[in-house]
Amino acid sequence: MLRLPAVSRALAGAAHSKGSISTTNNVWTSVRASSNMVEVFVDGKPVAVEPGTTVLQACEKVGVQIPRFCYHDRLSVAGNCRMCLVEIEKAPKPVAACAMPVMKGWNILTNSEKTRKAREGVMEFLLSNHPLDCPICDQGGECDLQDQSMMFGADRSRFTEEKRAVEDKNIGPLIKTIMTRCIHCTRCVRFASEVAGVEDLGTTGRGNTMQIGTYVEKMFMSELSGNVIDLCPVGALTSKPYAFTARPWETRKTESIDVLDAVGSNIVVSTRGGEVMRILPRLNEDVNEEWISDKTRFAYDGLKRQRLIQPMVKDASGQLVATTWEDVLTRVAGALQGVQGSEVGAIAGGMVDAEALVALKDLLNRLDSDTLCTEEIFPMAGAGTDLRSNYLLNSRITGIEESDLLLLVGTNPRYEAPLFNARVRKSWLHNELQVAMVGHKVDLSYSYNHLGETTQVLQEIAAGTHPFCKDLAQAKKPVVVVGSSALQREDGAAIFKAVSTIAQNSRASSGVEEGWKVLNVLHRVASQVAALDLGYKPGVDAIRKNPPKVLFLLGADAGCITRADLPKDSFIIYQGHHGDVGAVMADVILPGAAYTEKNGTYVNTEGRAQQTRVAVTAPGMAREDWKILRAISELAGVTLPYDTVDEVRRRLEEVSPNLVRYDDVEESNYFKQAHELSKAVNQSLLAAPLVPPQLTVKDFYMTDPISRASQTMAKCVKAVTEGAAAVDEPSIC
Amino acid sequence: MAAAVVRGIGSNLSKNLREVRLHLCQISAASQGTRDFIEQHYVTLKKANPEFPILIRECSGVQPVLWARYGFGKEHNVSLDNMNADQVAKALESVVNAKP
Repeated sequence: MLRLPAVSRALAGAAHSKGSISTTNNVWTSVRASSNMVEVFVDGKPVAVEPGTTVLQACEKVGVQIPRFCYHDRLSVAGNCRMCLVEIEKAPKPVAACAMPVMKGWNILTNSEKTRKAREGVMEFLLSNHPLDCPICDQGGECDLQDQSMMFGADRSRFTEEKRAVEDKNIGPLIKTIMTRCIHCTRCVRFASEVAGVEDLGTTGRGNTMQIGTYVEKMFMSELSGNVIDLCPVGALTSKPYAFTARPWETRKTESIDVLDAVGSNIVVSTRGGEVMRILPRLNEDVNEEWISDKTRFAYDGLKRQRLIQPMVKDASGQLVATTWEDVLTRVAGALQGVQGSEVGAIAGGMVDAEALVALKDLLNRLDSDTLCTEEIFPMAGAGTDLRSNYLLNSRITGIEESDLLLLVGTNPRYEAPLFNARVRKSWLHNELQVAMVGHKVDLSYSYNHLGETTQVLQEIAAGTHPFCKDLAQAKKPVVVVGSSALQREDGAAIFKAVSTIAQNSRASSGVEEGWKVLNVLHRVASQVAALDLGYKPGVDAIRKNPPKVLFLLGADAGCITRADLPKDSFIIYQGHHGDVGAVMADVILPGAAYTEKNGTYVNTEGRAQQTRVAVTAPGMAREDWKILRAISELAGVTLPYDTVDEVRRRLEEVSPNLVRYDDVEESNYFKQAHELSKAVNQSLLAAPLVPPQLTVKDFYMTDPISRASQTMAKCVKAVTEGAAAVDEPSIC
Repeated sequence: MAAAVVRGIGSNLSKNLREVRLHLCQISAASQGTRDFIEQHYVTLKKANPEFPILIRECSGVQPVLWARYGFGKEHNVSLDNMNADQVAKALESVVNAKP
């Protein structure tokens, strides 16, 4: 197998993203611009390409798509399917377009007699051992084999032999394997080895007896495992939760954003009949490329369980009873009007959209309250959340690809932000990124320099006495990432100060230009950055210091504040979409919409504002969150000045204009000022080691109300702790 | 000049105000004064008012504006278009002293 390093995408036409900082972009150069371009002809049309591009990429540049099964532009080249064979004029044999670099003056004939014969032949061979499963195969309708056999295959069969069959493998509760259908393209093997970093899949045997699998009874337990389902061109690897539920042509696709972590992966929500059928990734070069994590992909069944569908009130006996919207809105408005401003507080949870956050802030501000908190803590000493550069992933996810040294502090990016980790791994693999970590030793799917887990190590690096400081000083484009879990500690301000010092020092010693940012914060919840942009106070200290009589929980399910922390007759209002921790302690429940049911703005950890779109309507009596708050405001006598989503977004712009700059990252500066203020922070580091809350894959699956309600996620946790055989699956196929 | 104004404001930001927001563009000429003001005087201002939210929100292409939020959600804005750092400081002083 020819293993060339993955060449960056030549075709920019398919990219939906804006402002990508890809380093090797060979699309828009003209022949006159650089003299080392090679001129080739595709069906007689001349095209100039960089030396080293393959025949397949040269054809794509002209717009001719060559059929292929094993080639994928984000994986290394294998060249084993032979479907991409094309004739080169005056060459004796057809060449594999995906692997052959172009030579000057070649005329590539993509539709000649020989090319067509080659394709028909390859297709005939592939179909000879392929089972007649189309009616029962989930890939039907989106199957590469079906599409390419219709376009390039022969119209008649000569097959009279017997087909071989292969045993199915059990690789976990997420991926259904029917290995008889496998055409041995090895995309899954290369993905597992290169992108996921888990070298579990491989090929056993040769020729007719070849099998792809894990050889031993082993689960493919990576947080990115679901992506092999997209990669597999046939129905060999399919989604187990999605099995036999829908055909692709009957689903409606809605472009949206994932909110189960802070990366903001772009997704496509496939729905049918008002129900979410599956979640697929959407291409975005800057954020998630073409991948999504398993939680993003499979937790959608949690959207149908434990939902709040009716407004509820706690009656005299302490039971929550369903009631009407009028009743519940009147009670809430009454409670808000009956107290002073200082006696009202609010806590925002991890999956709240910016529209609801601004509506809640405006509502409470009009009642003369400033006690709006987020569940996640961020150290407010120093510049706090004044300067955006203090709390964003300033280098951006694409910046990791240009970096040469990455220092991770107190974070496990593999399970906190799997797509960020995938980018780090990509950079480690192809761009020789060195990674070092201060924190508990975890398996990151790539090797790194573990510096220790004590805060002592952090202090030494900040002071310049640690041996690692030599590497930091020599790095030309260093990046330092501190995890938000490290900042949740009581010495969070001291940790941030140390990290800020390290970032400033390494920036100074590297001599890198002004535009390069070193300090980064990796968040874990989707609503944190938007809340901080809008001016929420991070952490519930303000509420603990001054317990309010009326507490508004907006999707707050982490249990930071319980009844015990509040005065005896306090009134708790919960607005959210799942009956989790927050709803249980509430006096009044307002059913809200989940992320697939509203047009919401979410800002990812880079500071990129993106919007979710309505894929299904909210169940029962649930409504969009900002609309509920607008209704409450009207009944409480402090009517909010917006009636439509556009008006809310205009208000968002008034508070923080970057919130409506969708899909772009706004540069934030003033690192020097932030550092100066952090220097004045007088807190000492605690001796406790830096241990992120998510250490193994077991901790990855159920972290928020939606994934906690999901049966698929529960099966994953069971499979990881008790083995794949322990998961009870209905007999399939 | 601006420094004197900032010293004059001292720790009085929270006297009438609840929150101050500064919107500016990272590169345009109209926001140059605002950028200078932040670079030169933000640290002093923050040190004198450590608990007060002075939200600095940079966004490309926006007109520089100073938003001031008082009690009961009342907000005023002052355009800082083409002002220099001294004028920005004066604008800040005016919102600090204004009664809501």
